[in-house]
Amino acid sequence: MAYFLKRFAHMIFVLWAVATILFVMFRTMPGTPLAAFIDNTTTAEQQDALIRQFGLDKSFGEQYWLFLSNLMQGDLGQSFFFKKPVVEVVMEVFPNSVILTLTSLTVAYLFGIVAGAYLSWRRGSWVEGLGIPAVLMTRAAPEFWLGMVLLAFFSFHLGWLPSGGANSSGSDWSSGWERVTSLDYLSHLALPAITLAIYLQGLPLLLMRSNMLNVLQEEFITMARMKGLSTWTIVMRHAARNALLPVATAFALGIGGAVGGNVVVETVFSWPGIGRLLVNAVASSDYPLAQGAFLMITAVLVVMNFIADVSYHLLDPRVRVATR
Amino acid sequence: MLPNSLTMPPDSQKTESTPRGLLRAAFTRAAFGIAATATIMGSAMPAAAQSGDPIRELTLISRAQAANPQQFQAAELIAQAWRQLGLDVQVQGMPRPQQSDAVWYNRDTWDLTMWQMVGRPERSDPDELIYNLFHSTTMEKGYNFVGYMNPEYDKIAEKQRVTANRADRKVLIDQLQDIVNEDQVYAFLVHPLQTYAFDKTVWDASSTVVQPGLGIKNFWTFSGIKPLGGQKDMILNSSDELNAINPFYISGATDSWITELVWDRMMRIGPTGLAEPWAAKSVQWADDAKSVTVTLRDGMKWHDGKPVTIDDVVFSFTAPVKYAPMYKPFVSGIANIEVLDSSTVRFDLAEPNAAFETSTLAKINLAPKHIWEPLLANLGEGENAESVLETSRIGSGPFKFNRWATQQEVVLDANKGHWAAPNMERWILRIVLNVEATLGMLRSGELNFLSDYTGDPALLMEAANADGDLDVVESVDIGFQYVAFNLRRPPFDDAAFRRALSAAINRELIRKAAYNGFAVNANSVVSPALSFWHKAGIDKELPVGMDLAKSILKDAGYVIKGGKLHYPAGMSEKLGK
Repeated sequence: MAYFLKRFAHMIFVLWAVATILFVMFRTMPGTPLAAFIDNTTTAEQQDALIRQFGLDKSFGEQYWLFLSNLMQGDLGQSFFFKKPVVEVVMEVFPNSVILTLTSLTVAYLFGIVAGAYLSWRRGSWVEGLGIPAVLMTRAAPEFWLGMVLLAFFSFHLGWLPSGGANSSGSDWSSGWERVTSLDYLSHLALPAITLAIYLQGLPLLLMRSNMLNVLQEEFITMARMKGLSTWTIVMRHAARNALLPVATAFALGIGGAVGGNVVVETVFSWPGIGRLLVNAVASSDYPLAQGAFLMITAVLVVMNFIADVSYHLLDPRVRVATR
Repeated sequence: MLPNSLTMPPDSQKTESTPRGLLRAAFTRAAFGIAATATIMGSAMPAAAQSGDPIRELTLISRAQAANPQQFQAAELIAQAWRQLGLDVQVQGMPRPQQSDAVWYNRDTWDLTMWQMVGRPERSDPDELIYNLFHSTTMEKGYNFVGYMNPEYDKIAEKQRVTANRADRKVLIDQLQDIVNEDQVYAFLVHPLQTYAFDKTVWDASSTVVQPGLGIKNFWTFSGIKPLGGQKDMILNSSDELNAINPFYISGATDSWITELVWDRMMRIGPTGLAEPWAAKSVQWADDAKSVTVTLRDGMKWHDGKPVTIDDVVFSFTAPVKYAPMYKPFVSGIANIEVLDSSTVRFDLAEPNAAFETSTLAKINLAPKHIWEPLLANLGEGENAESVLETSRIGSGPFKFNRWATQQEVVLDANKGHWAAPNMERWILRIVLNVEATLGMLRSGELNFLSDYTGDPALLMEAANADGDLDVVESVDIGFQYVAFNLRRPPFDDAAFRRALSAAINRELIRKAAYNGFAVNANSVVSPALSFWHKAGIDKELPVGMDLAKSILKDAGYVIKGGKLHYPAGMSEKLGK
């Protein structure tokens, strides 16, 4: 119990530290939030009005205090750009980011685990000789390039899949759930998810493979072989289960990392998501929105980290003993 | 003078029509430049004794290469040319907010920047650019960010505002264009060509309207275009994220397309570029041009079914004074608004204003009083109409607001009860960030009207030729690209120096290399797209060439010494590091 509390306090501290760093960072960045508005508004009084409206006339300390106390109440402030509460703006696109991330991570990890286990079993064969370089190449290929290639082929050339957005133009849905489970949404999801999955599969695959190589040296595997079990049973039922733990951790962390890190894929496929929101907010010095989006991403990352740690603690007796 | 052998090869202009010729020309120029500099280094020595300090290292600010490749490439070509004059010029690419911060908010700190003015319907009257860009009152915080001050210019710019007779006003506008040319306040580069495209199997090509300076992407096309078959939704694209849809606030180019469809105006800029009555049945000027009587159309209705009343009109023109900073300048010339009867209103102006129809009657959105008045009455400290998020977006225009999904699309429905009801069913604006994808979408039918294309026009032409269903329409932009000099900082306060720098720029090379030929040369703030106001042939009135540039500098007393350009005798560099 004490462990959980300690771990929880640690998580809160990290969130506070990140929030503070974000606050300071955005206010010391070059450029003023007014710059995003000058193409149209220019007179002196307009600028003063904007400064007051954005609360930029208050002192640094005052702004920080306001920011923290609002944050405690779950209020991330008002976006300069959209004139809407940050929470509302973020929540509008957040589900898209989560769906894209979870879909591609699941595909990537399922493939990575099976392929990684298989490659470890075929160690030293021609399969490995071709497989490993192929994995490294897809892992190293820039996402935007991969995205454009898939777009050019499946969308422009074959016409199988739509080339951008999350839904067909002007389509109406009675509920959000109906929207995201529709064939229309899924067909729009396919290309960005595949692009991201191809990019993500390298890590679980290589991780799984190296874990498996260790596990396969263990005595219980030799035992299983002596019992005359089939290759599939040995690899998947006995060895893979033991090699899976670090991969599960990587999965949890991957969710946090990928939720905010999809900006390239989101841009290539015009997918509405939090990465794009963040880039736009930073470019236009929309402090509250940028802070909010960053915080949201950090929160997911930190919480996932927490869950990974705790689940590890529960799953593996050896970890429990070590932390005691 | 330079020896004859060093003048430009006479055929260099002709060889540029092919890419290879272009390259060759560039190489010839570069080689020529090195030779010229070397010779000048030798020949200019005797004059060395009478020169001032060497001119400091100069930074030419531009948008980053990735964000605006054309502008960045033009900047590189310009810097190359200026280096041949003995200047030490660096190009620095920046994101837009940073560039604005340096140029707009710290007006004493920069030397040179690439800049652009974009085309808007209300810029169809030359006043907005002619007055705001160069009048000394806008020097400190307004559009005159270069710091140009010329009392003679101010006087004529004010006079054209109060000259109601178009022919008389045209003479003044020409004079102003001449002064700007003479002083080379900016080094104008090009008016880009706007390229738009649409699927001609979906839309009747003969029902599109070309508006000078704006192309086919304009109000008249959207309200009048006819569908040919079952596809009655127009699907267009924008490459910018959208910020606001608000009748009192324009936050970017894209939302202004929407506001003009949802909210009516008393007048609209017509396909001719002149304001014509729209929600007004008639617009009558008094003889002294100091008051105008406007009669509202009968039977107009807001999208919620309530009638549009004369009170709404008065509200729409008075609310901006207090609540809409962006629109305030456009109503500040109104001294008084008098309601004459239930459909007629008289605007009394503080002084005659020739641009009133364009800059006010065709600019102010008619907003429903019953929705906006309570909202504006409850504003908090420091808030104004721009901070209000009014989500019903009720107007009276030919399109009704349906919905806006962040980062995805805006859907407008045709208002079938409008006197100018559109032929299409819905107007759907998709946010597409990927330029290459827009071309693919246009061909696959995911888009049927390309309204925002920032890519290479040659690629669009190629796609259109390969597809066969696409119509590409080009037109000269009202906007223009230029290099701005900071006139607050020597040596840019010297007109001769600016003239020399401007003369050294090879606009043909920039037009062909940076803009792929999709641009026309510029030398005025009034685009040739505005054929009435543009001074014909003004782009030819700026003699150009490297030799000329050098001789202008020499005549003005500048000296090249050790390969570096120096101020005239007696002048010291106060701004160097």
